[in-house]
Amino acid sequence: MWQKIREGLNLRIGLTDLVDSSLKEHRVPSDTNIFYTIGIVTLVAYFIMAVTGYFLLMYYVPHTDHAFSSVQNIMTNISFGWLIRMIHIVASNLMVALVFIHLISIFFMGNYKKPREITWLAGGLLLLVTLLFCLSGYLLPWSQRSYWATTIVTNIPTAFPVVGEYLANVLKGGEAISGVTLTRFFSLHVGFLPPVFMAIVGLHIFLVWRIGLSVPPFSKSAEEEKPWTEYSHTTYAESYPFYPHFFMKEVSMVMLLFAIIFFIISFFPTMFIPEAANTPADPFKTPADIKPEWYFLAPYQMMKLIPNKFFGISIQVIAIFTFLFWPFFDTGDEKNIIKRPALMGAFIILLSVWFALTFWGRYS
Amino acid sequence: MRYFCFMIIVVILSITVPVSAGYRELFEKEFLSKPWSSEILEESACVECHTSEAMPVELRSIPQEWQLSWHYQNDVSCHDCHGGDSTDATMSMSHKRGFTGTPKYTEVPEQCGKCHIGILEHYIESGHGKALKETGDGPNCVTCHGAHNIQQVSIDIINAQRCSKCHSYDRAKMMKQALFLTDEKIEKIDEDLKQLRSKGVYPEKEEKRLFDTQAKFRTLFHSIDVARVKSETDFYTEQLDSIEADVQKTYDQLAFRRKFSTFLMLIFAGSWIVASYISKSYKD
Repeated sequence: MWQKIREGLNLRIGLTDLVDSSLKEHRVPSDTNIFYTIGIVTLVAYFIMAVTGYFLLMYYVPHTDHAFSSVQNIMTNISFGWLIRMIHIVASNLMVALVFIHLISIFFMGNYKKPREITWLAGGLLLLVTLLFCLSGYLLPWSQRSYWATTIVTNIPTAFPVVGEYLANVLKGGEAISGVTLTRFFSLHVGFLPPVFMAIVGLHIFLVWRIGLSVPPFSKSAEEEKPWTEYSHTTYAESYPFYPHFFMKEVSMVMLLFAIIFFIISFFPTMFIPEAANTPADPFKTPADIKPEWYFLAPYQMMKLIPNKFFGISIQVIAIFTFLFWPFFDTGDEKNIIKRPALMGAFIILLSVWFALTFWGRYS
Repeated sequence: MRYFCFMIIVVILSITVPVSAGYRELFEKEFLSKPWSSEILEESACVECHTSEAMPVELRSIPQEWQLSWHYQNDVSCHDCHGGDSTDATMSMSHKRGFTGTPKYTEVPEQCGKCHIGILEHYIESGHGKALKETGDGPNCVTCHGAHNIQQVSIDIINAQRCSKCHSYDRAKMMKQALFLTDEKIEKIDEDLKQLRSKGVYPEKEEKRLFDTQAKFRTLFHSIDVARVKSETDFYTEQLDSIEADVQKTYDQLAFRRKFSTFLMLIFAGSWIVASYISKSYKD
């Protein structure tokens, strides 16, 4: 039967030819490491979010009177609703971590350099969209933690003089977090961000496919060294087919992602759902110890430490723009970061500061 | 071009930072004083006045006592008992705003009974309540619970030291024994529910049922009628058994969740090993 389907498709769309030309003949460098698979693992994490999010949508009610109880209904009454929500929560946090790891590894390997500047820019934008996903999704359960953590993060724009209050109010739909904010964040989370994310991912994948994977700068087979004067697909000294060689490597990493998700659900189920996340939001009762999610802790702590809040927000905005457009500033030919001690030092210092601020924010 | 862009950013920063130097005060006001900065202060005219040096020394400790109380933890503030307007310093003690001040000794049960209705009913019928009504000198709520530093009640409030101030401890001891097992069960279920919360469950239904049962049970012992407490204990035990069974079901559900997700984890961990092996075999 499978044979007949294949023959039928071959006759109509030339399936075998399509697979051969787009997958088997597509080459990847033979010395790729596991960091090269993080991109596709992140994309799978996104699809996990989309599928589980779709099921959550069936029972979630985006209204301040029902949001919390509808989430509790999913957790306790709906068959395997707990599993769907737990996967959604754990995968969302892992997705942020994966995007960070992906970008750090790309930066460390110098793979943002010509001709991959736009690929990097699209990746940076995807990080920002992912954080927006997290910010908007975090409020939806309407718990004490989500309410107050969102209050913290949505107040950060007030650091901008003149337009800051206006920006924060537009984000919140008023002076404080309310039902309007919930509706705005809900529509942003399920209506606006998914197509934006898919469009940027589409561009990102197209560029990776069209230009070809870059090789690690310190690998044995160096990428063909010639000035990039005209487009040509990257060629490699040693390579193997994308399918099935690299494809199976990616499949194994996706399996590992699922194993980690279920490991956390089994043994650390409250890692991302502390007690305050199980208490309905109460705008009149500020919890004693409330913090934003781990990926917002560094900017939050920075804002607390720098007394001049415009200076604090300026540093963050400049950091974001520098990060996004870095390939356009760093245009030298040298890819190997080990041969660039100044850049490597700055990179390690920045990473250390980020980790230090995150831990400081968490335990201060 | 890129150096030009960097220079523009540096120039913008070097101009705006000194200009915005006055933002420090604004930052402290707008950023650190927000509720989420966890440095919020109680904005109450009552607290402000009672902690000032103008207040007689014996009245200055009241806010501190209240801040340590069970009432404070449950958002019961000064005006809930004493009336008045805590948001307006000039009118805070105005009778027009409902200020009643300190109640007379005999009026204390009525004041507390505005919220603790069931307890008031049982208290009035009890020996304590009758003594207060007849002599004006019997024990009122404050005698056992204190005035401002009111703590969450446990069975330990019945003790020889407290009860012997007015009468012998024998009768009170019998009451404590009658309450002991039921009270212990309440505490155990309460602890189990707290554990459930820490495990990511929101046992609202069970918490409400326990609160309801506990409130009725504690209301009952304000009657200080040992025979009545003993006769009604079975009813409360049944209620508590039912709550306990539901809590156990939730624990069983949590155990199932762990087993199920561990099963899935093992499947995917196995798949990971197999896929890794296959991908390596391709390379070889």
